[in-house]
Amino acid sequence: MQPAPTTSPEPTVLEKVIAFVDERVGLKTIQAKMLNEPVPGGSRWAYIFGSVLLFIFIMQAVTGILLMFYYVPTADHAYASTQYIIHDVDYGWFLLSYHFWGSSAMVVCVFAHMSQVFLWGAYKKPREMIWLVGLALFGIVMGFGFTGYLLPWDQRAYWATTVGVEIMDKTPLLGDFMARFLKGGPTPGQMTLSRFFVIHVMILPAALMGLAGLHLFLFRTAGPAGPFRGTPEELKAKTDYFFPRQVWKDIVGMVTVFLGICTLAFWEPVVLLEEATPDPGDYHPEPEWYFLFLFQLLRLKIFSGEFGQFLGAIALPGAFMALLAALPFIDRDPERNIFKRPVALIGWIVVMTTILIFTVSAIINREFLD
Amino acid sequence: MTDRAPLSPLKLGLNVLWSAFWTGFPIKLAFALLFMALGMIHFEARLGLGFVMVLASPITVFAMPILMMLGSHFGEGAGLGLLFLLCIPIDIWAMGVVAKTLFLERLHLEPPDGIGFSLWWKSAVTGALYLPVLWMIVSTVTETAIAISHSIFELEIFHGLPVAEKISIELTLWGGVSATVLIILLVVGVSLIGRLVRSAAQNAAPASDNYQRLVTRWDLMRVPADQGLMLTAMTGAGVVLSVLFWAALPASTPHPHECCKPLEVKRQPPFKPIDALNRGERTLAQLAAQVEAIEKQRAEEEAAKDKHKSGKGKSAEPKP
Repeated sequence: MQPAPTTSPEPTVLEKVIAFVDERVGLKTIQAKMLNEPVPGGSRWAYIFGSVLLFIFIMQAVTGILLMFYYVPTADHAYASTQYIIHDVDYGWFLLSYHFWGSSAMVVCVFAHMSQVFLWGAYKKPREMIWLVGLALFGIVMGFGFTGYLLPWDQRAYWATTVGVEIMDKTPLLGDFMARFLKGGPTPGQMTLSRFFVIHVMILPAALMGLAGLHLFLFRTAGPAGPFRGTPEELKAKTDYFFPRQVWKDIVGMVTVFLGICTLAFWEPVVLLEEATPDPGDYHPEPEWYFLFLFQLLRLKIFSGEFGQFLGAIALPGAFMALLAALPFIDRDPERNIFKRPVALIGWIVVMTTILIFTVSAIINREFLD
Repeated sequence: MTDRAPLSPLKLGLNVLWSAFWTGFPIKLAFALLFMALGMIHFEARLGLGFVMVLASPITVFAMPILMMLGSHFGEGAGLGLLFLLCIPIDIWAMGVVAKTLFLERLHLEPPDGIGFSLWWKSAVTGALYLPVLWMIVSTVTETAIAISHSIFELEIFHGLPVAEKISIELTLWGGVSATVLIILLVVGVSLIGRLVRSAAQNAAPASDNYQRLVTRWDLMRVPADQGLMLTAMTGAGVVLSVLFWAALPASTPHPHECCKPLEVKRQPPFKPIDALNRGERTLAQLAAQVEAIEKQRAEEEAAKDKHKSGKGKSAEPKP
């Protein structure tokens, strides 16, 4: 008996919709471009940080929008509305705590991503522009942390901002203007809060979206750098497309970070101090943890006085950022293996150890102040 | 073993432990979070330590009770024990996947049957013996180093040193000593696990496939034949865990801090404009009726008074 001839089944509604969109925007071409990117040497866990950062940013945007439904950006209502979110809005404590810890996770992931790119030598030719845009994105992430810190309008927020703006004031030429623009008056008040709020929810997200798009475009143009060691035969045998293995690893990374942030939100939910006043009382001003090392550095005797403060707060970090920006143009050796670049490896260890020592020192310093 | 340069025990141990740690981590973290939401685990102030102990459970699973007996209390709650029990199958699976990959990819050897379970119990026993020793040595060295660095800065010549400098130098001194001892002991510990892997590798047969086929084998090893079933099962598990999490998540803050109680806020009843208008109209109508009644009563009283007066006047008139 001959099998009955099969007829092609009618396309489903979903297939028809996809075909309709595809015909107009080239959906399948975009999908193929996005997912069929070859990853030299195959997928790796070390490559997940970029995707994880994008995920954290999206989650920060989602939780931030939900918080804005309740938050009032005025000096007389910011504190009360934040307290209302914590204590009265259903799951408000969780949203706020997630948003708070999400910002820390973003900083940690930026450091991890930059370290990975640095150690893998992935900033070298032809990826110099990706590195430069990445540095700008690093600045934006720090800006998010700085501007978001003021919004709850408690003593911690008020005084961290006061100290931060005073540090900014020491920048030559632009410092005075920037400090006056941000404060909007002799002391932080309504104008400061309004400006920080606008920068936090409008300017920085727009800048981040634009630069992240450019970063991705440059990355896709130059292609992934791949591992820094392995024979050509090994690399060829392991080379794979972005989908499915790297996508899978990215998803696992995102889930892990999400769970980690949720855990931190549970372990240490956001607690506000007293409402902001121009009198610090017993409170010792302190910035967010990722600025603590710089804050502690400025307590050293060598950085005391007007010139010392300028040296520690502006000149040293500025020179360090300039060095990072110039790195791809200074380091022209094509060697990418970090174990064959001793200066880079030792430099990275020294920077990380310094940050760690001064951060822990700042925590120990609290006991002396108390 | 093959003709490739043999890996040192340290590299073998690192390969297995680091990869197994990250393979099991997301699954364990999901359960840890769920138990925290259910209020079954309290990590108190030592979250980092608690998580290191829980998430590094291939080697801490038997060591943890011993460490807790030594006074290293990092958390409490029934969920902690339950989490450790759940970690056992997860770790056996993770060790198996990681060890098989290592055997095929790096050692070019056929992985022995049951390598996951065999490595897991050997690592767990080694951890139970080694970790408490490491803990005690590092604790003692740290305490001694802190005491010595303190006493150095008590000397007369250091009295003029500013506080910030003193803190950083002290921290560098005792932190350096403590970190060095910790790193050395960790290297020794990881090498011990590496020796377990090496002893398993000595009895393994060489893999006959070429490199490309070996890569395909260890790659496909992680993906079951029925991928649809795997995706459905994972999605289902994800949905169940998410529903459980949101059901357990407290609607208001589970504030653990006694210092900062929430503000006492008196809730205002919700304002309903139509009801308020109706109520106002009713009140106005009542008041108008009252006013009308009062006016009427007053008018009657006035009328009665007038009548009374006119009656009196009539009676006072002289009789003809």
